Amino acid sequence: MKKTRWIYILLSAGLFLLIALFELGPLMWMGITSIKPAGTEFRIPMEILPVEPTLDNYAVVSGEDFRIQDAILNSLIVSGSAMLGTLLLSGLAAFAMARTRVSHKRRSFFAIQAAGIVPPIIIIAPTFVLLRSLGLLGTLGALIIPHMSYGIPLATLLIAGYFAGIPLAIDEAARIDGASSIRIFFQILLPVLKPVLFSAGVLSFLGSWGDFMHAFTVSLGLPEARTVPVAILSFSSAFQLQWAWIAAGVMLSVLPVVVLVAVFQRYLIGGLTSGALS
Amino acid sequence: MRQSRLRQGKTYRNRDWGFLIPAFLCLGVFYYYPFIQSALYSFFRLEYTTDWLHAPFVGVQNYVAVLGSYEFWHSLRFTALFTLGAVALDLSLGMLLALSAYWIHPFFKTLLRIIIIIPWAIPRVIQASIWRWMFNSDVGIVGTLLVRLGLAESPPLFLGEPALALMSVVMAYVWKGASISAVFLMAGLASVPRELQEASRIDGAGGLRRFFSVTVPVMAPTIVIAGLFRTRDALRVFDVIIGLTGGGPGMATESLSTYAYRIYFDFNNYGIGSAYAVIIFIGVAVLSGLYIKRFLERFEFVK
Repeated sequence: MKKTRWIYILLSAGLFLLIALFELGPLMWMGITSIKPAGTEFRIPMEILPVEPTLDNYAVVSGEDFRIQDAILNSLIVSGSAMLGTLLLSGLAAFAMARTRVSHKRRSFFAIQAAGIVPPIIIIAPTFVLLRSLGLLGTLGALIIPHMSYGIPLATLLIAGYFAGIPLAIDEAARIDGASSIRIFFQILLPVLKPVLFSAGVLSFLGSWGDFMHAFTVSLGLPEARTVPVAILSFSSAFQLQWAWIAAGVMLSVLPVVVLVAVFQRYLIGGLTSGALS
Repeated sequence: MRQSRLRQGKTYRNRDWGFLIPAFLCLGVFYYYPFIQSALYSFFRLEYTTDWLHAPFVGVQNYVAVLGSYEFWHSLRFTALFTLGAVALDLSLGMLLALSAYWIHPFFKTLLRIIIIIPWAIPRVIQASIWRWMFNSDVGIVGTLLVRLGLAESPPLFLGEPALALMSVVMAYVWKGASISAVFLMAGLASVPRELQEASRIDGAGGLRRFFSVTVPVMAPTIVIAGLFRTRDALRVFDVIIGLTGGGPGMATESLSTYAYRIYFDFNNYGIGSAYAVIIFIGVAVLSGLYIKRFLERFEFVK
């Protein structure tokens, strides 16, 4: 018995290393590239481990020419605000469909989910024209409001699914006491919804954080409206020959979300599993 | 009680629509309105303008032009091959990851789950940049390792030959896709009753047999949904291609979405571009319709 236990632990460790290499290998390689002195990343034969490690590349990407921190800040502002907006609007909509006596519930639900299947490519051109006529191109507003809308279908799906597990008795009691729908939502149901708000929140944050097509189109290449994906793509086409710099930029910009995911992994897995896809 | 409920129903029915209005306002402006605009664009000749009110109406000519063009069939073929490869690898690697996370010693469990979802958090374009560096023809780590392990004589031109470029795009895409599938499938695995596993073990079924005759059938609904979901995403592929190959070499890795984007913003032909987009939408909508229908069947509405 004891022997099989040790074999199990050993096999587990081997499996763990194998998966870690597959999942983190590309990031580790970027990490290694980022601490090689610029130019030496092209040496042949290749130095798999950096011979003269340096942090210079990090100084370069946060210096005058790149200012990756601006893009990270832009992304944090855009994704954070979009996430809060998505949660508020989706929470209210899911509440109306799951808990109130409005008409056309099924139709509303279908209409919201139908929006979710629209491929980005079919709405990009008219959206661009619309944002241009509103004078929003090249501003963060052109990102925040659309991203907030893009998050609604998935968040509504998750939150509405979660409502099904909350006993109706909770809000019925409050209703009999004469509480208004608004009070029932904000004071009684919102605290109960916390877990699903976390998972829907992380998912809409990541959705906005990763968006490229829309962000690229409406930023017009201006630094003040550049999010992380747009910045990294424009660096890597502008500085094709300085991969050590690009690698440092990638490492810095990936850091916030890796931390986010590590902290919230429970909610990420839990959210998807409980709501939509079980 | 019954009566008061009914009365409440009447009082609240219309006022509570206020909760839905903000969401529908947003969806209206950023989904329904641009969608209808695009559908309209596709019936007009629109070059360097989107003002369809003052443009010549051409009926289905844009669609005829798209369906008669070499570029359409070429990018459709690429998208189909890409989707097949990506979804098959996504799901099978995702399944292996999920099984590992389920099987592994509890000591590694939480850390393994975190590691599995990390690629998920990385934007597709950045991921594509990472792989572009790894697939570099002279100093890419993938080619170098292949040579050092004796699997290739010289580093392959990963992004320079059409077939290799397709494989490279799939590989880069699957790195993240497998993580997404793994998360879906982990949930499905957790729902396989332990007793079933035990019963078949006692009946003497081996690990592989147990997987295919017990686990897979029980998980079938989850696998189907994950498959639909992943197919829908793969059909829209855009970011990875822009970041990794830019559609090249030539237009070997041009997908429906990247080519439509080019027609819009490089060729400024909004009529043809919209016809492309509508065709993509129809393909994606059929698949997603299945997915939503499944969910609607399960969703319990308060009457």
